Amino acid sequence: MHESRRKFLAGAAAAGALTALRDVKAQAAPEATVSNEAIKQGKLPSMQWHSERPLTGSVPAHEHDFDVTPSDRMFVRNNLLTPVIDIYAHRLSVKGLVDKELSFSVFDLPKMFTTLTLQGMLECAGSGRSAFRPPASGTPWLETGGMGCPKWGGVRLADVLRAAGVKPNAAHVAGQGGDPGMVPSAAPVIRSIPMRKAMEENTLIAWAMNGEPLPWVHGYPLRLVVPGWVGSASTKWLHTLTVLDAPFKGTYMNNSYIVPRSPVAPGEKMPPETVSAEAWPVKSMITSPAPNARFKDGGSITVRGRAWVGEGEVAKVEISTDEGQTWQPARLSRDGDKYAWRSFTHEFKPERPGYVTLLARAWDSRGNAQPAVPYWNPLGYFWNGWHRVGVVVEA
Amino acid sequence: MLLLKLRELLGVVLLAFSLEVFCQEERLISGPGSTLTENKCKICHELQHIRRAPLSRGEWADNLRNMKERGTPMSDAEMAVILDYLSTYYNRDKPAPAPSADTLAAGGDDPVQKLLHANGCAGCHAVSQRVVGPSFGEVAQKYAGDALAAEKLATKIRDGGQGNWGQVPMPPNPGLSEADLRRLVGWVLSQK
Repeated sequence: MHESRRKFLAGAAAAGALTALRDVKAQAAPEATVSNEAIKQGKLPSMQWHSERPLTGSVPAHEHDFDVTPSDRMFVRNNLLTPVIDIYAHRLSVKGLVDKELSFSVFDLPKMFTTLTLQGMLECAGSGRSAFRPPASGTPWLETGGMGCPKWGGVRLADVLRAAGVKPNAAHVAGQGGDPGMVPSAAPVIRSIPMRKAMEENTLIAWAMNGEPLPWVHGYPLRLVVPGWVGSASTKWLHTLTVLDAPFKGTYMNNSYIVPRSPVAPGEKMPPETVSAEAWPVKSMITSPAPNARFKDGGSITVRGRAWVGEGEVAKVEISTDEGQTWQPARLSRDGDKYAWRSFTHEFKPERPGYVTLLARAWDSRGNAQPAVPYWNPLGYFWNGWHRVGVVVEA
Repeated sequence: MLLLKLRELLGVVLLAFSLEVFCQEERLISGPGSTLTENKCKICHELQHIRRAPLSRGEWADNLRNMKERGTPMSDAEMAVILDYLSTYYNRDKPAPAPSADTLAAGGDDPVQKLLHANGCAGCHAVSQRVVGPSFGEVAQKYAGDALAAEKLATKIRDGGQGNWGQVPMPPNPGLSEADLRRLVGWVLSQK
């Protein structure tokens, strides 16, 4: 898209979102947290709820057949409860290794910094966990659940950090959100990201999703959007950014969102040497047809899907209709924002009636392909095995 | 009028049904330490996380350390009981033994303490400090001077509720006998 047009659209979406924010304020409940029932009202009836406490839910792959994920299909994943925050009282503080500490209201941000809208992937680190054998501990996300690719409106994190003046020894930026726990002793959810990712032009402080204010459960009124990376990096209900000289030390950095430095045997416990879960490896899913869809013999089947990767580019997507013995290239759309998923299509003419399994396998620009079954890890992160959809060709 | 009544009745039936489902789901295999494990774990999450993915003893130990760091209020002694329980009944490397009585259920011979632990009250309430729900002291103070206090509190314990102390719902306890309910109410109201 042309730069000036992009800027104009971003500004328009941002302005619309800020007007709409006032309407949401009028509906705010007086309690300190939003009930699960209220959150579910904003979601599709077909959304599958994997747990109530904390609330987690997602739609299956065939409900994801959209270039831009509609807000009512975006996955829900909280570590704690969803807070009710007064947008007028809310402040964002920037502190730590900066030349001067800053504090902004939500309404200061679009006035002081360039606003933009970009489409970007968010995916929970545990997305796909239920496919691991043996089962790994945690939310049993569907093989293709726990991700989405909406449009985000906000300002660049880099611009805000530059305004505060980042000191030369800055290494990480920690985001802290205002989500309360069930018990007063609950540790705050704090995650930090390295400076290079914080200063990347696609990393945002966002207040809008799909041109509207963030829904409560998606971080209203402010959140980080670190597209392509595990969802927990994108702190919701953001109120403090702290610039640090090392990764933040806390339970959500040291005990969760880690994978073994070297692969371990399935079922082994976490080894002492670990790395932080950051960018998602290349992944794809078939969004149409739906599982067990029926087709008449003699016709052709259009396979459609989405592919994405946390860093780099999606290079190609292949489809197999013979359990991975042979692969045919799908037509891949290459346009779009850097961290948006890409759509692919493939026409397939079955040779005979019966049950047909469709498999999708994406490759990234560094030559990595999706494996049939990814490395097992104790917390069940980064499932990116081939997506499999079976359909029936009637005689 | 009749329609309205039917609707109300249907609502009550549906509520009872969903609460039944809720209660059934929130149990672990009965055995030494099962009550304590249930009470501590379900403060923050459903018990399906435990039932779905049995782990090795080493993984359970890591898991419990993680939960403690996340803020679970449990002592080291309690953690040891829970680790033994989980790695006996939810161990991926060996089948679970047959269910047995929870011989470690806290409370000793004190009838009130027995009720508090057997019904899971102690998972969310303590005498003087707020855990998930209000402390028993806070509850007693709320009802101080209220002539209908015993009636109101009995209803609350039996039917559950939400909204007075926050949005975390208190589950109902329909199985409590009238005598046990009275005993609990009397004890709670005396904790001012």
